Amino acid sequence: MIERMDLFRSLAEKRTDEIVVMTMTATLQWPLVSRSELDFDFLAFGMGHAGDFGLGLALARPERKTIVLKGDGGLLMSLGSLVTFGRYAPGNLLILLLENRSYEMTGAQPLPPRADFTALSRAAGIEGGGATGKGKVERIETLSVFQEALPRLLIEEGPHVVILPVVNNQPLPRINHSDHSGRIQKLRRALGVI
Amino acid sequence: MNETGASAAKTIEILKALGFTHVLMIPDSESRQLFDAVETDDTLQLITPCREGESVAIAAGLWTGGRKPLLVIQNTGFMEAGDALRGCGLGPRVPLRLMIGWRGYAGALAGKRPIDSAYTYTESLLRAWGIPFWHLMNDADLGTIEAMDRKAAESSMPAAVVTGYAFRP
Repeated sequence: MIERMDLFRSLAEKRTDEIVVMTMTATLQWPLVSRSELDFDFLAFGMGHAGDFGLGLALARPERKTIVLKGDGGLLMSLGSLVTFGRYAPGNLLILLLENRSYEMTGAQPLPPRADFTALSRAAGIEGGGATGKGKVERIETLSVFQEALPRLLIEEGPHVVILPVVNNQPLPRINHSDHSGRIQKLRRALGVI
Repeated sequence: MNETGASAAKTIEILKALGFTHVLMIPDSESRQLFDAVETDDTLQLITPCREGESVAIAAGLWTGGRKPLLVIQNTGFMEAGDALRGCGLGPRVPLRLMIGWRGYAGALAGKRPIDSAYTYTESLLRAWGIPFWHLMNDADLGTIEAMDRKAAESSMPAAVVTGYAFRP
């Protein structure tokens, strides 16, 4: 198990010009370690669809990586997305699936206990798939292994889906989000689209 | 009224002239000819997700990144994708361009019973969400695609054309 804030700190230290799309509890804790204009808070944009939005961004902006921080509960809300990734995800899409086996944001109600997200990702065709035919599915269970793998994940052609069992022992900041349109426009400005 | 539907080939040419880059569509019986036309086109990139909510979120990501996607979506999928449309289109003012297949339209006009409930709720749902829409029933209506595109751009909000008949090649 990896302490989620430790994972976020490690990612923030190595991250340079990548887009980071986050949702649910990651939207509360990632801003504690990052203030980049390329951070995108997907909370309330559509249940379970942060990865899909990230896929669209990655296709539109092939010059940089798009990293998606999303949870296993959200993935269950759009499980078919894995199959879509297995067919279309480009080499610059990196999905970090934060596996906490619960709906943490709403009180940590448990997920179906036998769901195997690593196996589901592989069965969806991501391993050896995606648009590049070089997709990878990895399961990383310790912070040290994640820190070791991170430089590779940030430059290696993917797509990648990395399943990361996480716990959180830190207090969650209160929800305090800007308006939806403003979030979109901020990212478009950062990307030079407008 | 001409009930043969619009030409897929002519529709494709209009989409390219308007600068669309991607078409997101899940096959349905009425749009199959358009699907085939997009699939074989060298310019437009076809993406076929598993469910319409995915399509909407992918389209929003593409637009945020500077591309111009079109969502081709049957009314049933439009209804399924409600939360994604709210969150990725209406709320953040993303000008999603929608081509909505009106399943049940031809049957309802022909007096077929029972009336398909997908027919019944299509226009009322569009009105409830404040999404402006035009009817694209045949080649004479192809100009509605440009009208829809212009409205989406000017308002920075979703807009739609509704197709009542199956596309011809």
